[in-house]
Amino acid sequence: MNQISEKGLRVWRVYGIIQTFIVLLLAIGAGVLTYIFEWPAYIYAIAAVIVVFYAYFFVYLFPKIKWMRWRYEVRESEIELQHGLFIVKRTLIPMVRVQHVDTSQGPILRKYGLAGITISTAATNHEIPALIVAEADELRSRISGLARVADDDV
Amino acid sequence: MFKERYQLHWITAVLSVLKTVKEMIIPIILLVFVNGVNDTGKWYLDYLTFLIFGFFMISFFITGIIKWKRYVYWFEDNELRIEYGLFVKKKRYIPFDRIQSLDYTEGILHRPFNLVKVSVETAGGSSSLKAEAELTAITKEAAEVIEREIAEAKRKKSVSPETVNEAETFEEVEEDVVPSVQTIFNMTGKDLFVLATTSGGMGLIFSGFLVFISQFIDILPLDAIYKEVSVFIKSGIFLVAIFSILSLIVVWGISVAMTFLAYYGFTVQVIEKDIVITRGLLEKKRVTVPLNRVQSVRIVENPFRQLFGYATVVIDNAGGGLAGEGAKINLFPLAKKKKVMAPLKELFPELQLEQPTIKLPARSKRFYYRAYSYVAAVIAAVVSYYLFPYGLFAFMVIPIIVLWGIWRHRSAAFELSGNQLTMRFRGISLQTVYVLKKRIQSMEIKQNYFHRKNDVATISAAIKSGALAFNAQVKHMELRDAEKILTWYEPKTFSIEREDQ
Repeated sequence: MNQISEKGLRVWRVYGIIQTFIVLLLAIGAGVLTYIFEWPAYIYAIAAVIVVFYAYFFVYLFPKIKWMRWRYEVRESEIELQHGLFIVKRTLIPMVRVQHVDTSQGPILRKYGLAGITISTAATNHEIPALIVAEADELRSRISGLARVADDDV
Repeated sequence: MFKERYQLHWITAVLSVLKTVKEMIIPIILLVFVNGVNDTGKWYLDYLTFLIFGFFMISFFITGIIKWKRYVYWFEDNELRIEYGLFVKKKRYIPFDRIQSLDYTEGILHRPFNLVKVSVETAGGSSSLKAEAELTAITKEAAEVIEREIAEAKRKKSVSPETVNEAETFEEVEEDVVPSVQTIFNMTGKDLFVLATTSGGMGLIFSGFLVFISQFIDILPLDAIYKEVSVFIKSGIFLVAIFSILSLIVVWGISVAMTFLAYYGFTVQVIEKDIVITRGLLEKKRVTVPLNRVQSVRIVENPFRQLFGYATVVIDNAGGGLAGEGAKINLFPLAKKKKVMAPLKELFPELQLEQPTIKLPARSKRFYYRAYSYVAAVIAAVVSYYLFPYGLFAFMVIPIIVLWGIWRHRSAAFELSGNQLTMRFRGISLQTVYVLKKRIQSMEIKQNYFHRKNDVATISAAIKSGALAFNAQVKHMELRDAEKILTWYEPKTFSIEREDQ
C-alpha cells in the first residue's frame, strides 16, 4: 500500500506549529493576567508546561504517528484507506459506489506543492490528505475513470 | 406550441402569511412582556414596536400575494417547469425521469377546498437539502394531471429504442393502466394507544411542560404560590399523589391526542412498484417511496415495547432530504413483531429476515462497560468528596453501567447470508438492520489500542439515508469476523462477479 508524501508530515508539523503558537499566546495572556492580579506563581509553571507538552504532541508525536499510519491503495475495483491516530480505521470503498472525486488545496498545502483528494459516495466522503499535486491529479483521473456508478443501487 | 401555465390555489398566499405570523408570534409576545405599554404621552412612541410589527405584517401579506401570483408551473419537453420569485425571477426545470415520487400533504386549510400540497422528490443529489420543488396548494385534479403527465412521459420513454428489447417491462406498463393496489398494513385504534403510551413523546411533552413553567417562573407570583403550596402539601400526601397522577394522565392524554393526529388511519399500500404511506387526522400525509430506492430495513425495539412483543419497522430511503421527512421512514410505526415478518417478506422478497446468529466473544464484554465505568467512578469519587456521605450513592451508577454494557454485549450479533448483511446492536433500543451488499456505500473496521491487544474490532457500514449516511455498527466484535465481513464486502473482479450471478 502507498504512503502519503513525506512533505505531508512537514505540513502537519506546520499546522502543529501554528496551533502551538496560538496556545503560546493564550499562555502569555494567562501569564500577564497572573502578573497583574498577583495570582499564585505556579500558574506560570502550568502555562509553560502546557505549551511544551502541546508542542511535543502536536508538532512532533501526533503528526509522526498519523503519517506512519496513513496507507492508501487504489485498485481496479475498490479503494482502501487505513489511517487514524488513536483509533485505526480501515475503510473500503468499492469503485461502483464512487460518485465523484475532488482535489483541493489550501494555502499551506499549495506552498509545499501538495493537494488533498476527496472521494464521495452517495452518502459518505473520504479524504486522502497531502499528496504531491501531480500524483493527486493522476489519482483523481484514474478513480473517475474506474468509477462506474450503478445507478439503480444508490 | 403553447403550453398552458398553471397557478397555485389562492390559499397559498394565506398559508404563507400564516407561516410568517406563526414565526413572529413569539417575538411579539416577548416584546409585549419586555416592553409592556409605557406611557410617555405620545401615542406613536407608546406603540412604536407595534407599529413596526404592523408594518412588517402588512408587507408580508403583500409579498405573500405577489409570490403566489408569480408562481407558475407547466409541462414542457418532458420536464416539470416552475417559475417563481418575488424580485428575482427563478426558473426550475425538473426532468420527469429524475422525479422519484410526489408526496402529498393535506393541511387543515387544504381540506375544505379539496387541495393538496405536492412535494416533488427527485432521485436526489446529496446536496439537496429539501424537496426539489413544492407546490404549496393545488387541486387534487391538478395533482392527478401532474401524475398522469409523468407516467405518460415515462411510458413514452420505455418505448424508445434503447429499451425495446426489454419487452417485458414494456408490456407490463401497457397492462397497468389500472394500477394494482395492495394494502399491506393498517393501524388500529388500539395500536395507536400503545404507540402513544410507549413512545418517547411522553417524556418530551413532560419536559416541554417543565420548560414552559420555568419560562414563566419570573412572572408568576411565587410567594403567593409558595404559601398555597405549603398549605397544599400540609393537606396531605394523598392529595399530592392524586395531583401527580392527574398530571401524568393529562400528559398521557396529550401524547395520545398527538399520536392520533399524526398517525390516524395509518395505511401502507403497494401501488405498482411504490410503497405508499398515508396517515394523519387533521393534516393528511401521503408519502411515496419507490421500492428500488429502499436502502435498508431496520427493526427497532425499545425495551418497553420489546417486553410486550412490539416492534417498529423503519426503512432508509435514498431520496428525500435532510429534513428527516423523506429519509428515515416509519414503515410500521408499531406492530406485534410476529405480525410484521409476513408483510415485510412480501415487500422485500430478496431479504432474509431471520435473526442474526453469530454473537460476540466473551472477551469483548468488558469493552462495553469498562471505559464508561472508569469515567463514572471518577465522577462518583468527586461527588462523594464534596457531598459526603450522601454522594456515595453516586457509585450505584456503576453496576447499572455494567449491567447495561452486558446487555448490549449480549444483544450484538451479525450474520452474512449470500449478498445480505444482518447486524443487530443495542443503544437503549434494540436494532436489527437488514441490508444488501449493493446498498452499502462503504465499510470500515475501527480499532483502538485496547482493541488491537485483544483482537477485537468495531465494524461499521455506511447506508445512504436521505442526503446523509446511517452508520450501522457492531462494536467490539471478533477481529477475524470483522475481517471476514470486510472481505465479503470487497468487490470481486468483474469476471468472478459474473459467475456469481
